[in-house]
Amino acid sequence: MNPINVLIVDDEELARCLIREYLRAHPDIVIVGEAEHGLDAVKQINALNPDLIFLDIQMPKLTGLEVLELTGRQAGVIFTTAYDQYALKAFDLHAIDYLLKPFSQTRFDEALAQARKSIAQLVNPQATAIQQLLSVPGKLLDRILIRDRTQVHVIPVDKMEYVEAQDDYISIVSDAKSYLKTQSLSELEAQLDPKKFVRVHRSYLINIEQLKSIERSTKDSHVAIMRSGKQIPISRTGYERIRQIM
Amino acid sequence: MRKLMWYLMAWLLAGVVIAALLVTMANISWGAGLGFAIPVSLIYGFVAASAFYVCRSLPFEKRQFLLTLVIFGGASLLSGLMWLLLCYAWNYLAQAIRHSFLYGADTDSNLTVNLIVITQPMSVMLFVAGCGFYLLSILVHDVLIALDNMRLADRRAAESRVQARDAELQVLRTQINPHFLFNSLNSISALTSIDPIAARTMTLELAQFFRQTLALSEKEQIPLTDEISLCRHFLAIEKIRFGKKLQSDIQVSDTAQTALIPPMLLQPCIENAIKHGIRDLTEGGTITLRAMTRGDWLHVTIENPVDINPSTTVGNGLGLKNSQQRLRSLYGEKARISWTRNTEFFIVEIAIPLSIVNL
Repeated sequence: MNPINVLIVDDEELARCLIREYLRAHPDIVIVGEAEHGLDAVKQINALNPDLIFLDIQMPKLTGLEVLELTGRQAGVIFTTAYDQYALKAFDLHAIDYLLKPFSQTRFDEALAQARKSIAQLVNPQATAIQQLLSVPGKLLDRILIRDRTQVHVIPVDKMEYVEAQDDYISIVSDAKSYLKTQSLSELEAQLDPKKFVRVHRSYLINIEQLKSIERSTKDSHVAIMRSGKQIPISRTGYERIRQIM
Repeated sequence: MRKLMWYLMAWLLAGVVIAALLVTMANISWGAGLGFAIPVSLIYGFVAASAFYVCRSLPFEKRQFLLTLVIFGGASLLSGLMWLLLCYAWNYLAQAIRHSFLYGADTDSNLTVNLIVITQPMSVMLFVAGCGFYLLSILVHDVLIALDNMRLADRRAAESRVQARDAELQVLRTQINPHFLFNSLNSISALTSIDPIAARTMTLELAQFFRQTLALSEKEQIPLTDEISLCRHFLAIEKIRFGKKLQSDIQVSDTAQTALIPPMLLQPCIENAIKHGIRDLTEGGTITLRAMTRGDWLHVTIENPVDINPSTTVGNGLGLKNSQQRLRSLYGEKARISWTRNTEFFIVEIAIPLSIVNL
């Protein structure tokens, strides 16, 4: 049997120690790496492609869930957390295994046995579960993650000025810089607070807080003037939407 | 409505007094005296109600002897004059009414033009009475305003007590931070096999921390040194968790040691400094706490380095706003908590009126 490669992600040295200790009982497992924070985890997951990840949720830089979103990783994950009401509820909902700190060796072994089984299977039941978890409706985003080759940009949604749809991707403009992300505008719109972000046009989503004024451009079309001076066309339905909010 | 009744009753009484004075002084009939004095008094009552505004324009704390004398004196002299004019006017009008009532439109009859004959000493007496009534009105309004203020202050105090209690509850709720507890237990669990002595130390620190939290949060105010000791226990635990990433530097001046502060004011700040500051830094950093007294104030500053790229979940400032609300309900506008963030540091500054524990 091939050895199982494991990555441990936790910002606390002692928490990683504990997992190392519990893993000692399983000689077929090789610890290939340890990460102290989310960004490091993203890098290591990409570089090492471990079979199994022990992933803390509450971490600096990026949370465990954001690490998964960025790496697109959907299987071979055991979450570890001390207390996170939201995450726990989501895990229970999607039947994803997690370890609640502090956990015992027995509980740890159980989770590991479960993980072994799913790693052995070609079709992974965890995949769909994690995918569902990451696209839980009803939870509003407060920052947007953008992967740009080796770098990861984290953009707080409040700083976002507007988003423009372009072919298969969207261009997010924040602090006079624009970032490309492969996602549809509607998908992003659904994850943002509808009181703050308005789809003023088929291809534009704007941040109300960055809006300076609305001007009439022709007899029955309007244009949004942003604080930066950028002008964004407003469609008729978009105008209705923005009027409802303001 | 009832207030108005009482007010009119008072002026009615004033009218009777004037009438009595007139009857004894000028030897006129009671009928004429009352007929003259009562309507004038009632009308004057409305003029004298202006005393309320005079009183309010000059709140107690702004009153200087001379200024008060000039304003109150001037107002009452002016009103006295108005009162005298009112007396004359009514005296004339009343007679005219009486005349037309008694004799129809026959204006030829050569009766007296006025209801009563106002002699010079009577004018003086009326003027003095007008001034006096106005001054009396000022006094009464002053007392009423003072009573009103007292009631308002009472209500405010009660409200702020309720608010303070709410804030206390909030503090209690937040201080039992489940994250902190479970993570600490996880650390202890890890330590038991690696370093049993450290595991025991951490257990004891954790117990001490919770015991002190419970003891302190029952009190309204505690000496700063007690809160600092609580912070030290908290830091000791977090230092075991985060290792050498977390450093602290606490300096409290001798005079500040015994200064009184509300419990659990600083500990949440330290907790935030770790959660939103040190924890995000790969290299870690030092939390600096300085406490000193300056004049009648206790100043506390808590400073921690932060990640230059504020990409991580920056706190929502709820904890600090909560502290702010708490200070406001305890000290009103006299205490202050402010926070600033520059590219490298997050700084919380607290200023509280100095009160020293009596040992």
